[in-house]
Amino acid sequence: MFNELGYQLRVVWACAKKDFQAALTDRLFTVLSLFVPVNLLILMSLFVLAGSNAPTAVVMEDQGPYAQAFYQAMSQAHSFRLQITSAAEAEHLITAGQTVAVVTIPTDFDARVKQNQPVQVDVKINNLNTDFTNDIRRAIPLSITSFYAKAFPNLVSVSVQEHDLYIHDTDYIPYLGVSILVIALMMGGLLQSGTAAAKEWENQTIKELLLSPASRWAITVGKMLGSFILSLGSTIIVLLVLIVFVGVVPENWGEVLGFTLLSLVIFNTVGTLLGTAIKTRQPVIALSIGISLPLFFLSGAFGPISFSTPVLQIIAKIFPVYYQIVVLQHAFHGFALNTYGLWGNTLILVGYAVVLIILMAAALQRATVSH
Amino acid sequence: MTNSNVASIEMVHLVKRFGNFTAVDDLSLTVEPGEIFGLLGPNGSGKTTTVNMISGLSAPTSGQVHVMGHDLRTQTRQVRQILGSVPQETALYEELSAWTNLDFHADLFGIPSQEKKARIESMLDLVGLTDRKDSRVSDYSGGMKRRLALARALLHDPQLVYLDEPTLGVDVQSRRAIWDYILALRQQGKTVLITTNYLEEAQELCSRIAIIDHGRLVALDTPEELKQQFGGSVVEIETVEPFGMLAELRALPGIKDAQLEDQFLKVTTQSGTNVVPQVINLAAQCCEIRDINIREPNLDEVFLHLTGTALRD
Repeated sequence: MFNELGYQLRVVWACAKKDFQAALTDRLFTVLSLFVPVNLLILMSLFVLAGSNAPTAVVMEDQGPYAQAFYQAMSQAHSFRLQITSAAEAEHLITAGQTVAVVTIPTDFDARVKQNQPVQVDVKINNLNTDFTNDIRRAIPLSITSFYAKAFPNLVSVSVQEHDLYIHDTDYIPYLGVSILVIALMMGGLLQSGTAAAKEWENQTIKELLLSPASRWAITVGKMLGSFILSLGSTIIVLLVLIVFVGVVPENWGEVLGFTLLSLVIFNTVGTLLGTAIKTRQPVIALSIGISLPLFFLSGAFGPISFSTPVLQIIAKIFPVYYQIVVLQHAFHGFALNTYGLWGNTLILVGYAVVLIILMAAALQRATVSH
Repeated sequence: MTNSNVASIEMVHLVKRFGNFTAVDDLSLTVEPGEIFGLLGPNGSGKTTTVNMISGLSAPTSGQVHVMGHDLRTQTRQVRQILGSVPQETALYEELSAWTNLDFHADLFGIPSQEKKARIESMLDLVGLTDRKDSRVSDYSGGMKRRLALARALLHDPQLVYLDEPTLGVDVQSRRAIWDYILALRQQGKTVLITTNYLEEAQELCSRIAIIDHGRLVALDTPEELKQQFGGSVVEIETVEPFGMLAELRALPGIKDAQLEDQFLKVTTQSGTNVVPQVINLAAQCCEIRDINIREPNLDEVFLHLTGTALRD
């Protein structure tokens, strides 16, 4: 009887159902687990939004067409969050630390431009943070060039002829949003499966599983399936936020579905492995967060890892997170972040999943209780 | 494969080490079919480690275990199918209901779906938990949890049931109920292995007892034989003034041991002798007697004698 597939499938389903039912009784933890990844998405988005544009006060002492054109050039530089103010108000803002710079367009701006005379645009910078300061230092000359290129196209003889690799630009938030989806999958998967496995040891209920004649494979798969179903909840929430609120619409829905599920399998296996090895929930929770965040930053979350240093590239390629970001960026935006191709990256991920499942079953097979 | 001629459990030179610590040290014993066998020992003596090895929860460092003729190393699954276990900590899913716990167990042990409901109902009825079947186990008392764990262990109709400290932390009423269930198992022909550090429990339930201490087998026999080995009778005499003829008393033939503590004299006689009247006479010659109590030795005394320590130390 024990070799019958039906029996093993029954064990798989029983373990999954039991873990699901147990999680539902611990509602607070389940709700928190569901929303931790969403919280992360919001947090990272805020981080990016806050850091993308420097708040800049503009004092328009001249309202002429050239002055207005210069203001337009600044607003299109993707570096400023502009606010037109009076000189007094601008001074107050920069003194109070509420603006990074004050740009003053002088009263004779238009007149001097018309007469082809030098114009001095006064820029007062709060150089408290060099990241913002350097943004301003780079963006002001860029704005001047843009202004001249538009106002006097005949005078500017050097121009840029851009050839894009992809048919559309991918903004920072949509790129990062996909990376955040990966970390959300990772954190949700690790937390759900890790705590579910550790709980069995913590409450000694592992004895019920280990004392049964059921195969360790069936128990492993069943436990992973239970966590998988729960992780799916947080995944759906993150996907909805990403698609509906952030506006990142996938280019290939099938790839999104397939790679999301494959990623969940990998993370649930790692979580179950962690829970089985550590056997208590608190360190599993700490470790899940402790693993997720460095891997997120390491694996090309903010931009292609190929733009990074060779050492970081080598380290990133050790972990599946890198490949998951690659395939999901392809699924959402259609671009390739490495040269392995979609199938190559997929095969690597499937390999990770298979090895991890074997490790997990072996860990449970060897599991004994001390006493 | 299993039949009544095969020992229910056979342990041969069983050893379990955790690093430098030897938890079970060359333990060999046999549990016969249909008996209630008790493993006695103080906390940390190696009882639970022994049953963990019998059930396959822990691998022996060396030695062999056969359960109903099955070699535990190679036929673990068969052993698990014929073994019903009540671990010390019950291992129940406390956040789930009694019914869900049993339903999960039924699936794990492959109980046919068409029989599952009736079996669960029958087990809940047996342990008197039918009216609480939908309550969360976390809301149960300690005694109810033990009863539920017993119901779960019996659900797949095992031939061998092991209960690790079955009445630990249980009130007197529940303890009596659990004892009755265990005694009923013997009537059904099942073999029961219990670990306990309650001597009263062992005396009430067990056909044979193995006393282990520091992982070693110290004694193995029926409760009656163990007591006989310890001595024939225990005479406790309380005198008005301290008894002053201890040396003369110890010199009497048939005296195994004599201890004096203030006005309390405790004399253990050798079995098969009739020295009790002489003990009383000697005490009466020396002092005014306030109280006399003559009784059989109890297992506490046997245990103290064998291990040099009280059982619950």
